[in-house]
Amino acid sequence: MDIQNQNKKTYLYDEHIKLKAKMVPFGGWIMPVQYEGIIKEHNATREFAGLFDVSHMGEVYIKGKDSLDYLQSIVPQNIKELKEGCAMYCQLPNKEGGLIDDLIIYNVKNIEIEADYFIVINASRIDVDIPFMKEESKKFEVEVINKSDDFSMLALQGPNSKLIIKQLGVELDEQPKFFTIKETELDKIPVLLTRTGYTGEDGFEIVFENKYAEELWNKILSYHKEYGVVPVGLGARDTLRLEAGLPLYGHELNEKTTPIESSLGFFVPKDKNEEYNGKSLILAQKLKQKPLRKKLFAFVMEDRQIARNDYEVYIDGKKAGYVTSGAPSPTLGKNIGFCMIDFENLTPSLVTRLNNPQESLGMNIQVMVRNKLCNAKLTKKPFVKKNYEK
Amino acid sequence: MNIPEGILCSKTHEWVLEGDGNVTVGLTDWAVEQLGDVVFIELPEVGSNYSKDEVFATIESVKAASEIYMPISGEIIEVNEQLINSPELINEDSYAAWLVKVKPSNFQEDTEGLMEYDDYKDEVQ
Repeated sequence: MDIQNQNKKTYLYDEHIKLKAKMVPFGGWIMPVQYEGIIKEHNATREFAGLFDVSHMGEVYIKGKDSLDYLQSIVPQNIKELKEGCAMYCQLPNKEGGLIDDLIIYNVKNIEIEADYFIVINASRIDVDIPFMKEESKKFEVEVINKSDDFSMLALQGPNSKLIIKQLGVELDEQPKFFTIKETELDKIPVLLTRTGYTGEDGFEIVFENKYAEELWNKILSYHKEYGVVPVGLGARDTLRLEAGLPLYGHELNEKTTPIESSLGFFVPKDKNEEYNGKSLILAQKLKQKPLRKKLFAFVMEDRQIARNDYEVYIDGKKAGYVTSGAPSPTLGKNIGFCMIDFENLTPSLVTRLNNPQESLGMNIQVMVRNKLCNAKLTKKPFVKKNYEK
Repeated sequence: MNIPEGILCSKTHEWVLEGDGNVTVGLTDWAVEQLGDVVFIELPEVGSNYSKDEVFATIESVKAASEIYMPISGEIIEVNEQLINSPELINEDSYAAWLVKVKPSNFQEDTEGLMEYDDYKDEVQ
């Protein structure tokens, strides 16, 4: 198979090849899955800093008189509370409350770009999100502009990230605070610098014009000796986000599952007045007025086997769901994962127990690994404490 | 890493080495390098019998689980217990870190389709 012909390359493709990265297809792109090794890259990010090419992610500009009203109609979150220069983790539900994508929305009215709001979306969902968002925008005086091909994006994650950003010319007290965005320069390269990420560590995401990709990538990696920064591929990106309890679209999130069922209820407000797609089911589930059809749980393996995506999950000897993500946790030295438990097949008393965190935490489950039931326990997320600098 | 003299390799990246009528089976260095960090190896029970091309073991990297196929038919007479607690040994040297020893049932015929190491290397590269 010639994967290179079917998939897009980021502007850093040649750099990945020079670093001898193992390249794989991912969401329509050919991306590095690892350089020196997933465990090394994972640990370097937790201890020092990791640099990720996330140029495959999509970027969208929202502008126009009705920008706020439009966003209010498409996400469960209250965008009225999103202040200038701030970021909010949001979901994009369909009319039935299932998720088309999850995204980060930035209010950039204070920033000199041609938008009121800047949105970062998943690479694999660009072709679904953009037509949906455009269709939804017809009732409003608003423009939805796909900027995904115009920008490259890096994530610099880990405790030394802020020191590297300082070396690139942004003093610690000038750096954006947690979940905010700033327009600045890194070593004279104009960038949008955000204090966000997908690893559970303090860190930044950096959005800039494609032409600077190679220069900025190599500039940051030149601090390897001083600050331990290494390039990190999708393999460690997955173990890092899993340990941090963060969902991945297509695994924990999909069009048939509401944010409440995907255990994102924390991010869904009870008191947003405006209508939004899927509100009747999402809000009713949030207020416990309608039952959950299924629910996402975190688990730790007790037996030695590793649970993987799509493996069957059993409770009390009966099939109860499936694994959505599973991997060894390099930080904990245990095998961890998420599973979706389908309530429709379970007895009412078991559903009641599962809905009560005091009873569900620590509950024994089994995962079918190569025709053998292996023991696991439901647990709390995140698996590893987040190290955000707030 | 030392490539043992006389090994034969399969298209599915297992190696075999005959000695004293028994056969040692492992995974090639090329296969292990493709896998990356190995974190789990599941080996068969001693005394069990496998046919050529049957799955007899599983190896897992951080990213995925891969099946290992029997390059020859026979009975498992020994497994490398060290790999159960230290699967990473296979990343260091996949010839020292063999998987199983087999009492072959049809060695001559089963090894006809296997390649010498140099030919195998040419094929995978």
